[in-house]
This record gives sequence, structure tokens and C-alpha cells, in this order.
Amino acid sequence: MLKVIGLDKSYNRQKQSLKSVSFTAKPGEVTAIIGPSGAGKTTILRSVNQLIRDDAGQILLDDTDIRQAKPAELRQIRHHIGMIFQNYNLIGPLTALENVLHGRLGAKSTLAGILGLYSTAEKNEALELLKAVGLGDFALQRCDQLSGGQQQRVGIARALMQHPKMILCDEPIASLDPKSTKLVMDILRELAQSKQLIILINLHQLEIAQTYADHIVGINQGTIVYEGPQRALTPEKLQAIYRQAPTKEVSAHA
Amino acid sequence: MPNQLTPQHFFRRRRIQLTVILLILIGIYWLSMALVNFQTMTALTQVPAGLIWLFKNFIPTERSLSYLSAISFQLWRTLLIAIASTICAGLFSLFFAILGAKPTAPAPYWHLVIRLGASLVRIIPVVAWSMILLFSFKQSDFTGFLALFFMTLGYLTRAFTETIEDLDPDKLSALRAVGATYTQCVFCGVLPEVATTLTSWLLYMIENNLRDATLVGILTGTGIGFLFNYYFKSFRYDAAGLIVLLIAILVITLELTSTKIRKAIA
Repeated sequence: MLKVIGLDKSYNRQKQSLKSVSFTAKPGEVTAIIGPSGAGKTTILRSVNQLIRDDAGQILLDDTDIRQAKPAELRQIRHHIGMIFQNYNLIGPLTALENVLHGRLGAKSTLAGILGLYSTAEKNEALELLKAVGLGDFALQRCDQLSGGQQQRVGIARALMQHPKMILCDEPIASLDPKSTKLVMDILRELAQSKQLIILINLHQLEIAQTYADHIVGINQGTIVYEGPQRALTPEKLQAIYRQAPTKEVSAHA
Repeated sequence: MPNQLTPQHFFRRRRIQLTVILLILIGIYWLSMALVNFQTMTALTQVPAGLIWLFKNFIPTERSLSYLSAISFQLWRTLLIAIASTICAGLFSLFFAILGAKPTAPAPYWHLVIRLGASLVRIIPVVAWSMILLFSFKQSDFTGFLALFFMTLGYLTRAFTETIEDLDPDKLSALRAVGATYTQCVFCGVLPEVATTLTSWLLYMIENNLRDATLVGILTGTGIGFLFNYYFKSFRYDAAGLIVLLIAILVITLELTSTKIRKAIA
């Protein structure tokens, strides 16, 4: 169970990006964070594994506060949190298999990691994961030669290699065509159910969130305006989530 | 509308602009030539005569072939020094570039320190490096090696830093998110991403350093540069010409090889 309580973050003094953000995400469910662009979706997601340092609050993963972790502890916590990105963020010149094996870096000594000393069991597991996402034939291909949808599936395999409790997905389908989108989202939903993972996903496509998410967190200008099951999302609540800032304020910032 | 131009007006204005620029360039040339008392016409008539003299004297003859073994020995040494100094400087540059590039710098001030250091080393031309090092290390191959090393170090540190900074920093975020250490991020993420570009730079610098090694040799009295200077000053122009010819052949071979290597690893 992921519990975020009272998270604050501001990048500069004028504007607070997150205002006391609180929500929960349960294992076995797809939790989608939705909201207009610039609402703070990415900031929330990247605070959860502390890629962005927030200002105040609590982030409890199974009752451990990630924000209080010392560097070595943080590394261990991160090792069990997978993450996939809009731009996939794979190491292009390396093969799909090598990229999946990177999922083990958090569990390895620095030296074993830089020398690429992976056990046979780890290599077999990586290959199995690639087969599971339908890329068994591409294991030894360079990642920058794969299509976007294929790269995103390598990203998922890398996340699974971490034996994660949770997978964070930062706009995972924003650069994908409809067919790849369905493939990737189907895999993520299936993973949540079969492995009882927490799937926390940032989306700007409302239809996808409504089709795939069990739990919805709606955010507008850094404030949570809705949290609840997908079914209970009424048109009025959607309007509150996607409400535009008054024009006067926009022009004052521009 | 005041800024609406008809196509005719636009092209007329463009022609006037180009004419003015051309006139200004001719004016600058004429002014600088007048200031140094350079007579364009005399120069033009004298250049062919000079070239003919050059060809008559510098064309290698059968006699110059007797110098071939001495020349190829020194050429070989010079090539080795160029390669050794480039690779050595490349290793140091990589280390400094990782410390100095924004996405991988351990602390922000490293970026400034490394950049400043690289600039300081680079603004001293290779000729000056040779002269300075000659005092401390005397007339030896090592002096030539060091002169090339420092020049390459400044140049490659800058090039490598910029290559690393071109990298999408989010790729490193992905590795940090996995739980990788700083060193693992560098070795598993940064190095594979930049390896081909870095190799291209190294190959380019080897070519460059072979040419510079000739000049450094003249100044430090070592390698092929020394031999060239020696033949030249003892009026054996044909032998000196043979050296120039062999250097040209070597540089072209080197260029062709490195183009092939670059294609193979791309």
C-alpha cells in the first residue's frame, strides 16, 4: 500500500507546485493520476521514488517513509520500485537484454554492476521477461532500433526485473500509437492483478484512464480535487479536475 | 500594411544587400593590403614562378630514395607518439569530462572548475607548449609527447564534456530510479551512450596530432619534424620533399582507415 500524506513542493517562491497532496494506491489496482498539463502529475510521481526532492509530507510504502530513508536505504527502496517513462529512457546502443538486466543494478555491488557480472539465472530471467512482453526474438537487438511500443515493453521488462512492489508510469503511452497503447496498458493492468502490484500511472488521455484505471486521483494546480473509484467519476467532478485557471491569472504569469 | 512587401521589392532589396556586403569585403581587403604594402598584381605574377621553383627542387629524385629508411623510421616513431599521446590524453579527458559535464558532475562547481581548466590548457597553442616544455624536458621524444598531450587534453575534455551534456539526462534518472549507484550510472548508462562519438573524436585527434607532431618535432628537435628541418637546412630539398609526400600519404591512409572504423562502429 502506498500512502502519500500532505506532500508539498515548490520549484520557486512565487508558485507552489504541490499543495498538501494526499492519496493512497492499493496493490492489485491501477491508480491513475489525471489532470491538465502543468497540474503537478510528474512532480508527484517523481517524488514517490525521490527523483525529485519535495519540501514536506510523508510517502509511506508499506509503512516505511521513503522521504526519511538514508542514501543506502533509498537505493534499496528504489530497487523495488519500477519506473517507466514517456521517452522509454533505455540505453539505446545496448541490447534489449542488457537494458532489462539493468533492473538488477540496485541489488548489485558497484563493481559487479559496472563489469556487467550477471548470473546465468539473472540472464535467463531477463530473457523470460522479454518473452512475456512478446519480445523474445528481439533480445539481442539494439534498443534504438526498436519501435516505440517495443521500447516501452523493454522498459516494462526492466521494471519487472526489479521484482517490484510498485511500478511508476510517467505518461507511458503519450508517444505511442493506439495499437501499442492498448498492448502496453493491457500488460500493466494484467500485472497489477496477477502480481498484486501497485501501478501508479500519470495520464493525460482521459479515455485511457477511464478504461483501465480502478482508482482515480484528479489534480488541478497542485491540489487534489478528486480521489475515488473510477465508477464514481461524474461529469461535474471531471469539470473540476480539468477546470482552466481564470484567464486573468494566465496572462499575469505569461 | 506598411511591412507588406511585393516579391519584386523583396528581391531588389536582397540584391542591394548582397552588393553592399560584397563592396564592404572588397574594401576591407584593399585597406588591409594597402596597410601592409602588399601589391596584388606583383604577387599574382610571382606565385607561379615560386611554385615552379618549389616543384623543381622539392620533387623527390632517385637519389632521395637512399633517405627512405631513415625517414620511414622517424615517421613510424612520430605516428606512435601521436597515437600514444592522443589515447593517453583521451583517458584523462574522459575522466575530467565525467566530473565536469553537468548531468554527471558530483557537485555543480566541478563543472566550472573543469571547464576553466580545459580552456586554460587549450588557449596555449601547441607551438607555445613545445617551447615551454623544451626548457623542462629538453630535446626528447617525451617533450613532443607532452606538448601533444596537453593540447589534446584541453581539446578533448571540452569535446567529451559537450558530448555527455548532449545526452538526455532523463536516461540517467531512469537508472537512478532502478537503484543504481553514481558509478553504475556512469558505466552502464553514460559510457555506452557516448562511446561511438568519443571514438570518432579520438580518431579525429590522432589524424590531427600526426600533422601537429611534424610541427612539434621541428620545435623540439625530435621525430619526423626534426628530420625535415635537418634536410631542409642542409639544402637537401628533394629529401625534405619526400618527407612531405610520405606524411601526406600517411595522413590520407589514416583518414581513410578512421572513416572505415567510424562506419563500422556507428
